[in-house]
Amino acid sequence: MKLFPSLSKKPASTAEFEREAVQHLGALLAVATRMTRNGTEAEDLVQDTLVKAMRAREQFESGTNMRAWLLRILTNTFINRYRRGGLEKAVLEGPDADPLADGWVSASTMSAMRDPESTALRPVLEAEIRRALDELPEEFRLAVVLADVEEMSYREIADIMGCPIGTVMSRLHRGRRILKGRLYEHALDMGIVSPEAVVGSGDAPVSLAAFRAKKAVTR
Amino acid sequence: MTAPCRRRNSPLLEPFADGELPTDKTVEVETHLDECECCRESVELSRALKLSLQRAVRSDAEPSTEFAERVTRALSAERERQEERERQPERGRPLAWRFIVPVAAAAGVTLVWGALDQQGKGTHPDGRISANMATSTPGVTASLDQMVDELVSHHVQSRDPDVVEPSQINKLEPEVGVPVRVPSLQQYGLRWEGASVIPVRQLNQRAASLRYSYDGHRVTLYVYNSAQFPLRATLEPRVVRNMPVYVGSRRGYSIAAVEKRGVGYAVATDLDDRESAELVASIH
Ligand SMILES: [Zn+2]
Repeated sequence: MKLFPSLSKKPASTAEFEREAVQHLGALLAVATRMTRNGTEAEDLVQDTLVKAMRAREQFESGTNMRAWLLRILTNTFINRYRRGGLEKAVLEGPDADPLADGWVSASTMSAMRDPESTALRPVLEAEIRRALDELPEEFRLAVVLADVEEMSYREIADIMGCPIGTVMSRLHRGRRILKGRLYEHALDMGIVSPEAVVGSGDAPVSLAAFRAKKAVTR
Repeated sequence: MTAPCRRRNSPLLEPFADGELPTDKTVEVETHLDECECCRESVELSRALKLSLQRAVRSDAEPSTEFAERVTRALSAERERQEERERQPERGRPLAWRFIVPVAAAAGVTLVWGALDQQGKGTHPDGRISANMATSTPGVTASLDQMVDELVSHHVQSRDPDVVEPSQINKLEPEVGVPVRVPSLQQYGLRWEGASVIPVRQLNQRAASLRYSYDGHRVTLYVYNSAQFPLRATLEPRVVRNMPVYVGSRRGYSIAAVEKRGVGYAVATDLDDRESAELVASIH
């Protein structure tokens, strides 16, 4: 008598599995590189992931999304092995002024910021985004990569990171807030947008220039 | 330029952009976006950031030819190992602790095979004898290994439960340090028998042990503080029902663990490891 009769199905052969898994090498390496921030470690992580996946290939239901399955193994391996003591604690928090959230940035500026095509600066922007991502505290970085790059659901991320959904949402929010701030500064530096007069409420700094000067000091 | 909308900091906007809102809230946000340029741009910026992140991350790491070849070699080697293992008779097979082997090998440790094989001394095809695993396996691997061993030993032993009435089970919580509930496993035909607190000496910790029976088999469910029990570090990760499950086997028993909100759940059974994994993944 079997508890789970559906488990009796035959797993894919190793050769089939190998063929399919190798197709995801690029996607896995991209994510591993952002997780480890180290090319060699990223390669080791991907190799470990694929070997583990091959050992556990009966667990993979053919016809479902192999890339997502491999990414889960990769993320678990990263959390368990490379960060066995748990993810580093995010200390970065504080009432740092946020021009985007605080409403100092107009709709037209936000519109200009999200239009990298018109600037012909896309590679520069991508490099900037990678740098900003690498500087995020690890818990935020992992949440952002899983949600935005891998498009996992809050539920999946909560399961994989071993935390409640509310924590996932807060990590995402804080991580993205930092990234948007960096994007905004980058857009200012590149002259894609121009500094605006502050429209916000009374307790905000007087001008954006003052805000940026303040940020430069606290950095 | 108009004053910024107060709702641009609404906790609904990000989940909306992520497609995570229920229908009624989605309609609420969409209605507001129709009339508010500021919030609309804020959502568009979130979506643009998502696309930029995807491009930035994916365009960065193109696998080198050498790396692709290295991976292919590693997978071929693994395939040969698996095929070799399938050809071997049951007796000579290493017990499923092979999952620790890469860790042990990396630490320069003597590999241990089938120490508790029913045949007595398990002899691996390459001749290593593993009767003295406690002394030959140093450090962290040994203690984690013994922790799993302890859980299996508890599973095998018969003992009278401290608590029989399911509603009384929260009495165990002070000793275990995490919430303890009786998961409903009747759907699989499992019958509740009772619960106890057991010491796990390797860790100087306590776990709740919940007993069930199933068609003459015994099923033990351990509930513990997952921060104190590094169980998943010793087991092999798999994905079952879209969640990570950590699986291994020992002395013919399989063990499978999940972690939810700081609480660890591990089942020990004499069923096969895939059934144990399914079972533990079904706990809500
Ligand atoms: Zn609005």
